[in-house]
Amino acid sequence: MGGLTQVRPGSVPHGPAQAPAGSVRRREILVAYALLTPAVLLVLGVLAYPVAWEVWISLTSFASRAESRSFVGVANYRTMLADAFFWRALATTVVYFVVTTLAKLAVGVALALLLARPCRGRALVFLAVFLPWAYPGGVTVVAWYWMLNPPLITSYSVAVGHWKHAVDGVAGAGAYTFASVALFNIWRGASFTAVFLLAGLNAIPRELFDYARLETRSAAQRFRHVTLPLLRPFLALAVFLSFTTAFADLANVWMLTGGRVIFPVVGTYAYWLGIRSGEFAEAAAWSLSLVPLLLLALAVLFRWFDPPREAPA
Amino acid sequence: MAQVMMKDLNKKYDEVHAVKDVNLHIRDKEFIVLVGPSGCGKSTTLRMVAGLEEITAGEITIGDRVVNDLPPKDRDIAMVFQNYALYPHMTVYDNMAFGLKMRKFPKVEIQKRVQDAAEILGIQELLKRKPRQLSGGQRQRVAVGRAIVRHPQVFLFDEPLSNLDAKLRVQMRVELKRLHERLETTAIYVTHDQVEAMTLGDRVVVMKDGWIQQVGEPLELYGKPANKFVAGFIGSPAMNFVDVKVADANGALWAETQGLRVKVPPIHTSRLVPYKGQQVTLGVRPEDLQLASGSDPSEYVFDAVVDVVEPLGSEILLDLRAGNSTIVARVEPTVRLKVHEKTRLALTPDRAHFFDLKTELAI
Amino acid sequence: MSRGRLARWIHGAALALVAAYSVFPIYFITVQSLKTPQEDVFGSPFYVADPTVENYAELLAGPGTRVRGFVVLPRVPFVRWLANSAVVLGASLVVTLVAGVLAAYALGRLQPPGWLWWRRALFATYVVPHTILFIPLYQVLIALGLDDSHGALILIYSTMALPFCVWILSAYYRHLPREIEESALVEGATPATAFLRIVLPMSRNVLVAAALFTVGTVGNDFMFASIFLLDPTRQTVAAGLGVMDVSLEELVAVAGVNLAAIPVATACALFARGYVRGLTAAMVEGA
Repeated sequence: MGGLTQVRPGSVPHGPAQAPAGSVRRREILVAYALLTPAVLLVLGVLAYPVAWEVWISLTSFASRAESRSFVGVANYRTMLADAFFWRALATTVVYFVVTTLAKLAVGVALALLLARPCRGRALVFLAVFLPWAYPGGVTVVAWYWMLNPPLITSYSVAVGHWKHAVDGVAGAGAYTFASVALFNIWRGASFTAVFLLAGLNAIPRELFDYARLETRSAAQRFRHVTLPLLRPFLALAVFLSFTTAFADLANVWMLTGGRVIFPVVGTYAYWLGIRSGEFAEAAAWSLSLVPLLLLALAVLFRWFDPPREAPA
Repeated sequence: MAQVMMKDLNKKYDEVHAVKDVNLHIRDKEFIVLVGPSGCGKSTTLRMVAGLEEITAGEITIGDRVVNDLPPKDRDIAMVFQNYALYPHMTVYDNMAFGLKMRKFPKVEIQKRVQDAAEILGIQELLKRKPRQLSGGQRQRVAVGRAIVRHPQVFLFDEPLSNLDAKLRVQMRVELKRLHERLETTAIYVTHDQVEAMTLGDRVVVMKDGWIQQVGEPLELYGKPANKFVAGFIGSPAMNFVDVKVADANGALWAETQGLRVKVPPIHTSRLVPYKGQQVTLGVRPEDLQLASGSDPSEYVFDAVVDVVEPLGSEILLDLRAGNSTIVARVEPTVRLKVHEKTRLALTPDRAHFFDLKTELAI
Repeated sequence: MSRGRLARWIHGAALALVAAYSVFPIYFITVQSLKTPQEDVFGSPFYVADPTVENYAELLAGPGTRVRGFVVLPRVPFVRWLANSAVVLGASLVVTLVAGVLAAYALGRLQPPGWLWWRRALFATYVVPHTILFIPLYQVLIALGLDDSHGALILIYSTMALPFCVWILSAYYRHLPREIEESALVEGATPATAFLRIVLPMSRNVLVAAALFTVGTVGNDFMFASIFLLDPTRQTVAAGLGVMDVSLEELVAVAGVNLAAIPVATACALFARGYVRGLTAAMVEGA
């Protein structure tokens, strides 16, 4: 014992990052895949067939009135792209997504910052902020819709009716209903975002904010250079979730009213084409038209997804 | 109670060879300390004994069982972690009882053992609390208590004191030593702190870059370091190293470099003869240097200039310059020297060390 | 007034405003639900002068018909709907949490090669709006024999809630000190016991967060419930209220909204603290 040898630099890492390919580790990887299976089957398995089906159908002439189903290549897409109505619907959809998402983030950040400061009665205000999200949206949407679009007999019908005509007169028929859906989505989504970001703020070490007070001159500067970058991964996550609810709320109201949301939007129009008119192939093409945009959003969000990480020590 | 044997132990990660050919025989009831800078492989070695890391090559024996393929739970060991690893959702009592419950001990026995351990460690009144309600020192005790209720064959400690403040660390060090004397259980203790290693270990294993550098009793490591690394690692402040040339003059060997010239002490002369005309490293501990007085033989005295004075109360550390070399000396607290002042230092001849410049082995 | 006091006043006023903004729609619903038909027509929309619980009683009255003006309306099986909702919610919770915990532990702790991308792939499904996929989804459900059954909703809801639950749970498991588990292993536990006795109880708050998120996801759906559940005795509250003739019974429908929402909202409020703590615990390490 006690042999001496030359000096070589290098550290000893722990953990699976530099995992050895030993038999124990190999078994661990197998176990990991086994544990992963139910969730992957549920999420990707359930979605894989529908997505593939939509892609395939969009390349055929499948429709309830068509005699046969034949492969037509990108013809459906060509028809769709040539349709001015499609571009209007796409624009509406994108605007709806962007506006609701930005509004949710803005309101959410504001509420989170407000709630992050300790003060009297904060717990109560927190519960109030939490409430819109905790109130199950699937049923609240029923109330919300009828509140803004009341039946004729209610005491405030006339007032709301005036509003509705004023908005529709400016922005086109159906604009009021559409806007009310957007408002509902923002009201409920901002509540989730606020609580989510509040948790994010709690997770950021206090010293970072304390240090920022020494380094920056104004609260605005601090927000821009410290708070916002630190919250970025959580904001990216919030955007993901905003997308799903934005679409779900629209679809909910659309279903609820039997298609009375007549403002053209890609998703609901696809539904209309598919279920009401039986133009399944065209509907599929419409549904998939959002995919390139969504992939773009994904690429951006994934860059924000993981926080800046120091190299493992 | 058991001995632990490591035979040609190796650990390879994808890119790093973390533990290299470690051979170690830990005797029954021995308190052995693995010490070295971070990344030296000491923790990995310990974790291989615990069964938390796979063994790439070699063999570990606890008692008379080869444990290579045994999961940790079957190795009959207990471990204290650096961050204590207490279960935050359990009370102190449940934390300490967990291992016994897992081994299906009868309730009465569990209660007795936990009470006994709590008494030994003076934490009886904490048993109903949750870990987050405890101070660092108390958590440390609970972590130790959790290990001792099990009456394991071997205790493993992975830097258990490094999260404590300096004062508490010294106190716990003493307690651990007392505990070991009382329980007489084989213990393997990993630390990067050489003071802990020296004070706790029956024997100390110094590691670096995955290799064992030297195994020995604390004073052996201090007095006869096998190489330059051990010499520099053990002892605080660290040993001074000066590269010198071995020169022959007036029928004696001299170690000389610019601004510094001392005679090679007689006990080293014969071994340094082959190095005549070559460079070697001279090592002198700060405590083996004094301010020269008239009685010191002049061939061991050299000039130096004071750079920094660090009064510690019981002693004073002087940072000095001798020629091109920087040297630390530990002197009496009564010494009054100012920065930039010139002085003369004398070294204790039979305490000097010489190391081969290339192999860094002690000559 | 000093600067500090002014700032406090502004902060307080902002909080009050926020609370009002958040609660107002629910207050508004509640006001309507407590009105008699007369007051609904002639009263003020902002308060109720003569509160009544008859709209609620109507929902709980059981089968039969009722008369409103000149119209005879069938009573809706609201209690049944509540029970159905509870079944769907409970089963979705179980499926989501079990599958979520297992996957999260695999991704966060065992970290098989490519775990980061698995997690991202799961999350990426959030940009695919499920709502545009329901024709083929319907085919899948028929193939699985889940047509017009609660199983259909349970499957879809779990699918929608899982990615987020996996994300927060795996983030938590990833930063949980390994030593905690290693200690349990040394103490004599098998990996499975260590997980069940140590890791799972430690992640209690994160589980609460995952559970509440699942509740929110399930609660937010109206569309799938309406599409996939046609038999009135199998419908959930959302699907059931959707088919009521709201222009004639909006007061009862609104009462129904509250009646279904109050237990859920109460449960959420009770666990709100755990929810935020759980999210924070998951985020301390970040994504």
